[in-house]
Amino acid sequence: MATKETTKQLILGVYDNPDKVYSTTKKLIKSGYKIEDVYSPFAIHGLDRVLGIKRSRLTVAAFLFAMTGLSLAVTFQVYVSYFDWQMNIGGKPSLHIPTYIPITFELSILFTAFGMVTCFFIVNKMFWGKNADIMDPRVTDDLFVIAVDVKASKADMGALNQKLIDGGAIEVRERIKEL
Amino acid sequence: MSYESPIRDQLVTGGKTYSDVTRDITRPLENAPSKGWWIGFSLSTIVLAIWIGATTYTVLVGLGAWGLNKTVGWAFDITNFVFWVGIGHAGTLISAVLLLFRQKWRMSINRSAEAMTIFAVICAASFILSHMGRPWVAYWPIPLPNAFGTLWVNFNSPLVWDVFAISTYFSVSLVFWYVGLIPDIATVRDRATTKARKFWYGLFAMGWTGSTRTWHRYEIISLILAGISTPLVLSVHSIVSMDFATSLVPGWHTTIFPPYFVAGAIFSGFGMVLTLLVVAREVMNYKDYITESHLDAMAKVVMVTGTMVGMAYITEFFVAAYSGVEYEQYAFLNRMFGPYWWAYWTMMSCNLLAPQVFWSSKARTNPVVLFIMSIIVNIGMWFERFVIIVTSLHRDFIPANWAMYTPTITEVAILIGSFGLFFFLFFLFIKFLPSINMAEVKSIIPTHAHGEEHHDHGNTHELATEKGVLHGN
Repeated sequence: MATKETTKQLILGVYDNPDKVYSTTKKLIKSGYKIEDVYSPFAIHGLDRVLGIKRSRLTVAAFLFAMTGLSLAVTFQVYVSYFDWQMNIGGKPSLHIPTYIPITFELSILFTAFGMVTCFFIVNKMFWGKNADIMDPRVTDDLFVIAVDVKASKADMGALNQKLIDGGAIEVRERIKEL
Repeated sequence: MSYESPIRDQLVTGGKTYSDVTRDITRPLENAPSKGWWIGFSLSTIVLAIWIGATTYTVLVGLGAWGLNKTVGWAFDITNFVFWVGIGHAGTLISAVLLLFRQKWRMSINRSAEAMTIFAVICAASFILSHMGRPWVAYWPIPLPNAFGTLWVNFNSPLVWDVFAISTYFSVSLVFWYVGLIPDIATVRDRATTKARKFWYGLFAMGWTGSTRTWHRYEIISLILAGISTPLVLSVHSIVSMDFATSLVPGWHTTIFPPYFVAGAIFSGFGMVLTLLVVAREVMNYKDYITESHLDAMAKVVMVTGTMVGMAYITEFFVAAYSGVEYEQYAFLNRMFGPYWWAYWTMMSCNLLAPQVFWSSKARTNPVVLFIMSIIVNIGMWFERFVIIVTSLHRDFIPANWAMYTPTITEVAILIGSFGLFFFLFFLFIKFLPSINMAEVKSIIPTHAHGEEHHDHGNTHELATEKGVLHGN
């Protein structure tokens, strides 16, 4: 792995149609090219599977956060109303599990949402004010970019260019990505 | 990238391309606001000033500024609170429940409906604060150790549940809304021509690049957020209804309250969404995005939920009659024929009878009918809360305690002013944020509209079909 290198050489194929991106990506991967990433203005369904992206474990994180919220809520309510300071309000029991359900439910959801979204930002290295390293300013508008990692693909530039153009690219260019 | 079914109508009309979508939806953000926007914004600012004035007066004078008395301890304040929380329900319903049901028509309305949710909950929260009388001790419902001068809260109380429910609902809706906004904020950032726009949108876009890896995770968290928001939205209004239902007051002590309140919330929320969108699609020229079939679908939801609410009203009567409890029976007869009969019949005609006009498909797609109906629904649902709260309280067990309630000018001013707060925020929203989810709308545009000059038509279409079959879209 090129861990010590500071730059990465990419060949970008710019497209204007998601179907072409999908089919070209599939063909390139079949021919053994290493695709760095595909950039698109919206999620292209199925492309993540083509790229071999493993299913994100954010679902597991979400479940763990839900369990954290749940146990904190139960512990807290039992501690407050039974162990710390019992109150007699209308003769109602101090330790009464059914009345803890609504708050437990709400806190589980609160923890899941905030915990999961925070993890999402962490794994994507997203934070407020981050300088976006965009491949093309129109990639958030109407263009799609396939970025091929030249070194990892050990690619013959000519053949790669031809493959990208054959797939319907409207532009092919080189890009050095800072790591 | 969308597989087109040959049977269904297109969700976005007018043969839009991806760049058309971007251009249409970022137009209000990138240009000087129109005259209509200035008029609306100025009007709502004036009304907001009324709200600020009346609320400040209440805080300075105390609750004596309101028409409450020993018998009717909740009236306009809680009516307005429940009304606004109810309106807040449509946003999450549209974006979460309809996402789970894969209703793609939601995509062009979910952004503005979610914004509406957030602003409506802000309005609702303002009533919670002002009805406390001493808003500077508003932290008392938060569980704090006894050393803070208050005892630990009582976890048996639905009012405490409500504090957790509303604040969770507000924060989760805000997160959901913001996560949905990130790709669109990035679009605005990349188109920005001014320094200020580049800075602010760049700040909130969090370095979004549109990478497939990010999209993959993004789709997963959207689905989970939708999955947890669905029970959340149902729980919030259930808990609001328990504020009433767990008491012993005749007319409140009813087991039907949670589902009945949730249906009412969806009903009033869709009423407000219709009010806003019927106007927005005309003024902002979004007719290709918010099409007649969107209006039709929303009108159907209004009709179904309105009828559900109507059925709940009638069920309450049946249960009161069947229970044999004379206090219950009297409470309901008093609603219908007592001194507040006019409020009751306004509620019945606006919520149960009026929406029946939507059996006609012509009414469901006529913007004028829809606009008038949406106002009627809002009025009806406000009166529903008024009826539940005031008619149940003003005559309870002991006739010596019976009293009447009349709002003061301050209370009326706060109610009217809260619309100023709501619309003030909404006008700022449509000026500074994309009011339609561009990324989602682009994903439902047929792909053959693009790049035909580079490739023959048959090839792309075949591919789309293959994927459509593959992933069961």
